[in-house]
Amino acid sequence: MDAVTPPALAHRSAEAAAPAIVEAEGLSFGFPGDASGALVLEDFHLALPRGGFVAVVGPSGVGKSTLLRVVAGLVPQTRGRITVDAAANPGRRPVATVYQDARLLPWRRALGNIEFGLEGLVADRRERRERARTVLAKVGLAEHAGKWPHQLSGGQRQRIGIARALAVEPDLLLMDEPFSALDAITRRGLQDELLRLWRDSGISVLFVTHDLDEAVYLADRVVLLAGRPGRIVEEFSVGLPRPREREGGAFGDTVRTIRAALDESFTHGAGI
Amino acid sequence: MSDAAATAATAAASGSRARGGGLAAERWLWPLAGLALFVAAWEGAVRGGLMNAVLVPPPSDVVPALFRELESGMWAGVVVASLRHYLAGVAIGSLLGIAAGIAVGLSPKVEAAQAGIARVLRPIPPLAWIPFAIIWFGVSETAAGFIIAIGVFWLNYFSALGAVRQIDPGLIELAHSFGQGGLWRRLAKIVLPGAAPGILTGLRAGLGQGWMTVVAAELFGIPGIGQRMMEASGLLATDIVALYMLTIAALYSLSDLVFQRLTRRALAWMP
Repeated sequence: MDAVTPPALAHRSAEAAAPAIVEAEGLSFGFPGDASGALVLEDFHLALPRGGFVAVVGPSGVGKSTLLRVVAGLVPQTRGRITVDAAANPGRRPVATVYQDARLLPWRRALGNIEFGLEGLVADRRERRERARTVLAKVGLAEHAGKWPHQLSGGQRQRIGIARALAVEPDLLLMDEPFSALDAITRRGLQDELLRLWRDSGISVLFVTHDLDEAVYLADRVVLLAGRPGRIVEEFSVGLPRPREREGGAFGDTVRTIRAALDESFTHGAGI
Repeated sequence: MSDAAATAATAAASGSRARGGGLAAERWLWPLAGLALFVAAWEGAVRGGLMNAVLVPPPSDVVPALFRELESGMWAGVVVASLRHYLAGVAIGSLLGIAAGIAVGLSPKVEAAQAGIARVLRPIPPLAWIPFAIIWFGVSETAAGFIIAIGVFWLNYFSALGAVRQIDPGLIELAHSFGQGGLWRRLAKIVLPGAAPGILTGLRAGLGQGWMTVVAAELFGIPGIGQRMMEASGLLATDIVALYMLTIAALYSLSDLVFQRLTRRALAWMP
């Protein structure tokens, strides 16, 4: 592939000096609960700089969701090394996750769902409520505090999911295709909102998606996965200035370049 | 007062309309009309000589029977006695059934291990335990409570077990990733509320089943509605037998109605 690299894109560019919050080397693992020992993702490496935003892109079945579980420490890896440099501080959780299905507790109202993350973390009930209210307002749903999840729209439910994660003031936010179940308009709105929250909080984000445009729009770096078991096809630094144009020439070039790399991985047999 | 009545009427009407377009009249009128027709046919058949009034007491005999039983204090006495067996049996059977169902539902291994035991014990009808109940506890209130509890236990056990097994594993993962993964926190915050709809369904079925067994358990001489019915039937006082049959129906309907109200409040979060 000798295509001219667009100026916005530099392959495997040298990392900025910022210390990494997540470092993975030679990471391999199988599906949790699969006793066959078959790997789903192999030889994965990652250096997520503190305050950075990395997107992991790939088709279904390359182990993206499992990757987040491994990073969160819920599932052990088979081989390799993973370090998450985020310490638990009083009143905070080092890592929080946002799920594709929002995963709200249907028997708790919007505010109660945000408080859920704070229970066992903040002893004082009133303080929990106060913190939950603050975050709820941050995602623009202050007036929906008393609603049941089934009374909220998909986008509103996902905002609650994001608020629940932000309420624990994590250093690292893991996002598992958080917007893929939403309609295009809502998705765009939430992407912009996420960027605003990210910028304001200085949090580090590891974002999993199968939507290339989304990855390029959001992330500093895009890690492309493909194959069975999944492997890194290529890594890209996205140098486009923010706020990014969704349709702009440089944006389109970047997406096209990454897509070409993905297509090539398929034709070369690394794909499905 | 008329204001309040009007508001209540409006609320009832709008409530029934929301439920699917029917008017309040349709919800109450037809069932009541059908019931009235049934009672009238029954009365007419007895008076017209189609049925023997001793073998099939007419409704007009049941009402005086009620007053006689109320006056003698018999009605209150046997209803309270039966309620005692019923409540004790249902409470103990439900609690144990729900607790066991949840405990087993939490562990796939234990669930696999219990399958054989359940297959043997579950099909035994509660009334088949009567001989053992009498051998173990004598002709006593404990025996009646035991028989009721057995039937109610299995209902609650299987509904709780099923409800726990059906909890979204994603919510369990959520609990783990937000530091609520310990057994007791998970139980209180995910398992119990998540299984509540299924558990409440089992409880409701048990409340009904309890009334079925309470009478049968008392037929063997344990004081209560069942025993009073046996007494009356020995004297061919069929009006009294019919009275207590209707009493059980009324008690069952009432307990079911109250329970449904409470359930609706507890499950307000459901769509």
